[in-house]
Amino acid sequence: MAILGAIVFVIFAALVLRLWALQVLSGTRYVAQAQANQFRTVRVQAPRGPILDRNGHPIVTNAAATAVELWPADLPKVYADRISELHALARITGTPLYEIAGMIRARRAAGDVLDPIVVREQAPDAMVTYLYERAAEFPGVAMDRAYIRHYPYHSLAAQLLGYVGQISAEQLKALKRSGYQAGDEIGQGGIESRYDGYLRGIAGSARVRVDSFGRPRSQRQLVTPAESGHTVRLTIDLGLQKAAEGALQYGMRLAQSQKQWAARGGAIVAMNPQDGSILAMASAPTYDPSVYAGRVTQKELDAQGLTPATALDKNYPSLNRATVGTYPPGSTFKPVTAIAAMQEHILSPFALLPCTGVYTAPEDKSHHKFHNWDPSTNTGMDLPTALAQSCDTYFYSLGNAFFLLPPDRGQPLQKWANAFGFGHSTGIDVGPESAGLVPTIGWKHSTFTPQSDTCCWQVDRLWKPGDSIQLSVGQGDLLVTPLQMARLYAAIANGGKLVTPHVLMDVENPNGTIVPTPAPPAPQAIPGLDPTALEIVRQGLYDGAHTPNGTSFGVFGNFPVPIAGKTGTAEKVVTLPGYHGKQSQSWWCGYGPFGPSPKLVVCALIENGGFGGQVAAPTAERVFAKFFDVHIPQTGAIHSD
Amino acid sequence: MLEYAGSQRAGLSREQHGIALWHVLRSVDWLLLAGVGGLVAVGLWGIAGVTKFDVPGDPRYYLDKQIIYAGAGGFVLLVALLLDPDLYRRYWKVIFGTLVGLIAVVFLAGHASHGSTRWINVGFFTFQPSEFGKLLCVLGLAGFLAERQRLVGSVGTTAKALGLGLIPTLLVFVQPDLGTALVYLAALAAMLFVAGSPWRHLTALGAAAAAIAVVVLWLGPALGVNFLKPYQKERLICFTHPATCPVDARYNVEQSIAAVGSGEVRGRGPNGATQTRLDFLPEHHTDFVFASFAEQRGFLGASFLLALYLLVLWRGLRVVAVARDLYSAVVAGGIVVALLFQIFVNVGMTMGVAPITGIPLPFVSVGGSSMIANLGAMGVLLAIHARGRASRSVSRRRG
Repeated sequence: MAILGAIVFVIFAALVLRLWALQVLSGTRYVAQAQANQFRTVRVQAPRGPILDRNGHPIVTNAAATAVELWPADLPKVYADRISELHALARITGTPLYEIAGMIRARRAAGDVLDPIVVREQAPDAMVTYLYERAAEFPGVAMDRAYIRHYPYHSLAAQLLGYVGQISAEQLKALKRSGYQAGDEIGQGGIESRYDGYLRGIAGSARVRVDSFGRPRSQRQLVTPAESGHTVRLTIDLGLQKAAEGALQYGMRLAQSQKQWAARGGAIVAMNPQDGSILAMASAPTYDPSVYAGRVTQKELDAQGLTPATALDKNYPSLNRATVGTYPPGSTFKPVTAIAAMQEHILSPFALLPCTGVYTAPEDKSHHKFHNWDPSTNTGMDLPTALAQSCDTYFYSLGNAFFLLPPDRGQPLQKWANAFGFGHSTGIDVGPESAGLVPTIGWKHSTFTPQSDTCCWQVDRLWKPGDSIQLSVGQGDLLVTPLQMARLYAAIANGGKLVTPHVLMDVENPNGTIVPTPAPPAPQAIPGLDPTALEIVRQGLYDGAHTPNGTSFGVFGNFPVPIAGKTGTAEKVVTLPGYHGKQSQSWWCGYGPFGPSPKLVVCALIENGGFGGQVAAPTAERVFAKFFDVHIPQTGAIHSD
Repeated sequence: MLEYAGSQRAGLSREQHGIALWHVLRSVDWLLLAGVGGLVAVGLWGIAGVTKFDVPGDPRYYLDKQIIYAGAGGFVLLVALLLDPDLYRRYWKVIFGTLVGLIAVVFLAGHASHGSTRWINVGFFTFQPSEFGKLLCVLGLAGFLAERQRLVGSVGTTAKALGLGLIPTLLVFVQPDLGTALVYLAALAAMLFVAGSPWRHLTALGAAAAAIAVVVLWLGPALGVNFLKPYQKERLICFTHPATCPVDARYNVEQSIAAVGSGEVRGRGPNGATQTRLDFLPEHHTDFVFASFAEQRGFLGASFLLALYLLVLWRGLRVVAVARDLYSAVVAGGIVVALLFQIFVNVGMTMGVAPITGIPLPFVSVGGSSMIANLGAMGVLLAIHARGRASRSVSRRRG
């Protein structure tokens, strides 16, 4: 008896001691554990800040939307019921069943059973009403407020603006420290990405009491309200941007009407030459970024050419050709050659040099012929005239002179090209950006190696007279972006200062106060640049648009505002569907008004568009016309480079 | 070995059957009855809070059921009190046969629940034979031991008792209901002990149990024979080696410990006890009812509940001592030890000091079979006590 009594006593002593230890000695710890169990913090999405143009016109806004969410844990437990609910949900929301199932599986695989999946981000009112009325048939389905990016002007400035999408795994890895979380929306490319920090706002948090399955058992209690994102104001002028995009379409049509059938792309940069603020930046073809707002479907992306499968067919619409596209600049590069030649004292600007139909370097024993665009010319020209009429042979001789410089003089043409911003990025605040290429002796050496060029590297790596001659007219290996060209012409217009292009004007917080932002770098005077040399080039550019033989006289000769500029017709080997060979890239770069205070520099490029004076110049004219509020008389283009 | 009231006399004399009903009622162990009554009352109070939010819109759903079960159990207790325990001794074979039959029926008409088959649906009520089986097994085996009381020291008696006891034990084990099978074994050991089996037999049985544990847990799996279901093994591993326990398996224990601990001294009350209310604690109205009760009522409530159990067990052990004959003493011993074992394993598992098994907490867990069977067992205890005391008072008057 005593034995059984002792056992009972020992057991009860053990139980009471354990009870004492748990409840009295460490009770507070378990209270905290139980508290942590029941509350789940959910993020409250912050409305993303709008993007405005320089005059305050909204370019990107938010549309309030109702999202249809599904809490997988609340789905019926019976398989058949679950499937039939998902079927019905798929039918109503238009989101395919396999996509819903995929999202549920992905959540489960990630170990996240607590967060709802978004079945449809932007549900029409009728759908919301329908689901509300039948809430009992759809356990686990809930509606939540969401903000969807809205693009009132559709494809306008699409590549510049970028879009918003769910944060990718790599982005999350890189940005985790900055407070980004899985499932966040983040700017993808363009302004949305570059200024995401201002635009995104600060997500708030709310607490929801949940049961052990994560099902909400109470209303959301707001802990910290979400803070709306800041308003980002761009230097872009909405009207001018529209005009630039319209001009691109016009330019491509114009080129096609001249049988340049491959003219299917182009870019325009319109910039303030004094400070580098971009007023318009257009790239064609383009796309409507609203395909990324709300639920993104492969079908829509395919239709817009935004997937690798269809990008080629649609001629890469997501590419911002103004900053990423690299092309040979052709004759639009001649001002650099002219300035370099004057600076290096290998050219006397007002001495007459022959302008002939064909040029052969006197030292060249093979007598290789370099042709002028106009084979019938045979006259002496000074520099402004050679620029105005774009005489290639005049510049060939300069190129040859650069080649003949003794090695201790270095490579001054390339040096001046670099000084005007070629071969490196412009530092524009919105990426991505290509640096382009200024070919040098060193570049040839490192590029043509036995590995990269098995047959001919020993010949190809040599810097030959032809390389200097080609470079002098912006051909050969030289590659530039339209933005770099706009920067060159801005420097010519503003008296030799290299600007840093930028699109950010200012940032306002939701209360309307300006938020301090880093100022764009001030324009930098190009060291050692002779103002006289610059002045002579300016004269040449003005003559190009205002003397009867000038290459863009037909376009700008009667323009009410004095415009100075240069045409370019750059040959580039391109591969097009069913065609491989040389195509002319149609350029026009220039500024206006000509004089002490130019207000606008415009650079227009039509891919495979033919002659610059026939296609790119009238394209650029439309931008000037909008800027200076000029009605364009329909002038015919003349046949010129 | 043990002193009980009837030790000196062999068997029962006819005249004792004539003890008047009022004598029985006069000799009821009121303290034991009060303890049992207190347990049922505290249990109902606990269930009222524990199940308050289980059925949306019907906070009394389980409470009302449980009150009906308690009422039925009270009636069974009264009947058991009035019946002379000697009746069970005389019909022990019938009782034992019924027990084995009932448990066997589970296989045939069984109704699967929670992966194990323990229920028989009899229409209005899912009847759980293994709960009643605890009492029936004790009543039956005690009959065998009482029959062989002169040969109680022999190996044969111990072996046959063991053999008989193992029949229902194994049947319950393969249901599978490891917890209840262990209750049967504990009761069997207690009955052999009270019946006066020699120490060397008990020691040998203990060694055999240890050997079987080794075979089941180690040798069997090593040879590719699994006696335990994977979840049973997992629960045992989680208890002995918490560090290697998979998260899923540890979940219940951790939630249970958090529930108990968060109750602190005064408890969080039914409305504030989130572990229970938000369903973090699984099975909180059945197997884990103690954790839920401790969360809501705190150390004060939980230790009061344990004190009531202690009172009942203490009075129960006194019943073993005052039993009028060997049969009654063995029955009382079996009932008390079975009750003790259930309390320890159930309360212990909610606090992480015993492995998880599906044993309900007597008088508290929601469940008709458990409530009625336990109250019936208490009725038998009270009946033994009443007759022990009553017979002595009768003999005193005679002598």
